[in-house]
Amino acid sequence: MTQPNDRHDEAHDHAHEEIGRSGRPGYYDIMETAVRELLVERQLIGADEIRRQIELLDSRNPALGAKVVARAWVDAAFRARLLADGRKACEELGISFYDDTQLIVLENTDKLHNLIVCTLCSCYPRPVLGLPPDWYKLKPYRSRAVSEPRAVLAEFGTVIPEDVEIRVSDSTAMVRYLVLPKRPDGTDDYSEEQLAALVTRDTMIGVVPARVGQEAVQP
Amino acid sequence: MTETQDLVKRLPNDIGGLPAEPIRQVDHALEPWEKRCHALADVLDYHKIINTEEKRCGVEALGAEMIGKLTYYERWIVAFANILFRKGILTPEALARKMAEVEARWDAENGGGKEGAAHRQD
Repeated sequence: MTQPNDRHDEAHDHAHEEIGRSGRPGYYDIMETAVRELLVERQLIGADEIRRQIELLDSRNPALGAKVVARAWVDAAFRARLLADGRKACEELGISFYDDTQLIVLENTDKLHNLIVCTLCSCYPRPVLGLPPDWYKLKPYRSRAVSEPRAVLAEFGTVIPEDVEIRVSDSTAMVRYLVLPKRPDGTDDYSEEQLAALVTRDTMIGVVPARVGQEAVQP
Repeated sequence: MTETQDLVKRLPNDIGGLPAEPIRQVDHALEPWEKRCHALADVLDYHKIINTEEKRCGVEALGAEMIGKLTYYERWIVAFANILFRKGILTPEALARKMAEVEARWDAENGGGKEGAAHRQD
């Protein structure tokens, strides 16, 4: 079955001009403006809140999660605190949580590989990773990650040995997960910054391992 | 029989474990209105007007056809409108009037209007 959403993803993989220069706003765009203006008129939300929230959203990206992972790789005490209470440990590094969610950090080891998903919708550790990619929100990943994770991982080019357990964690509105990938071999002399550059978004979802030579292009 | 039982047991969002297509690693940069819609969701949550679980249920309540045909943020904004109607915070009439106003304002600011749109197509 084709996901109807795919048309959206394919149609909009190019950069967008500001609405108003490129064409008339669409029905749902107008609906968003209308709902927002009505709520402001009724003083249920502040006129400036949406703009400020957009700035907050724009400030969140996988570089924050990478900083957390790199710190955990070099600082065993921090790693222990991170695994005990993900949210508190991230806040220690100055990463604020703008919602009520809890964060559980899942550590990959030689015997265990973690993968995160939200089967019901699109829950994701947004304070530390930003917004999820479209594929995370679409049916194929949400449906299959829990029932055939090895096949899903193989589609990302990731082959996990049969003797390594794969554990899939299904996110909820209140509890979000972040994968702590394994530190790659041969990185003993790397600085914390160099380590962070190895940690991509997909390594923290758990669909690929962190690798030397696959440095993330962080915004 | 079995088919309708499956409908009862699985609501539209409950797709974990179902067979599906191979994963295509698609993504797109959010359009400005999509980003505003996401920010609106967060602000509605802060003010305890619509929380994350209410939003998820609101999307589910759109039913399988709309869930299948609308894009991600289209589902969100329609769900918000429906939830706000149900909570008595907005009325469908007020929203319809405001949408007409927003559209007319855009036309006035951009020299558009239906005539303008038709003209551009020539």
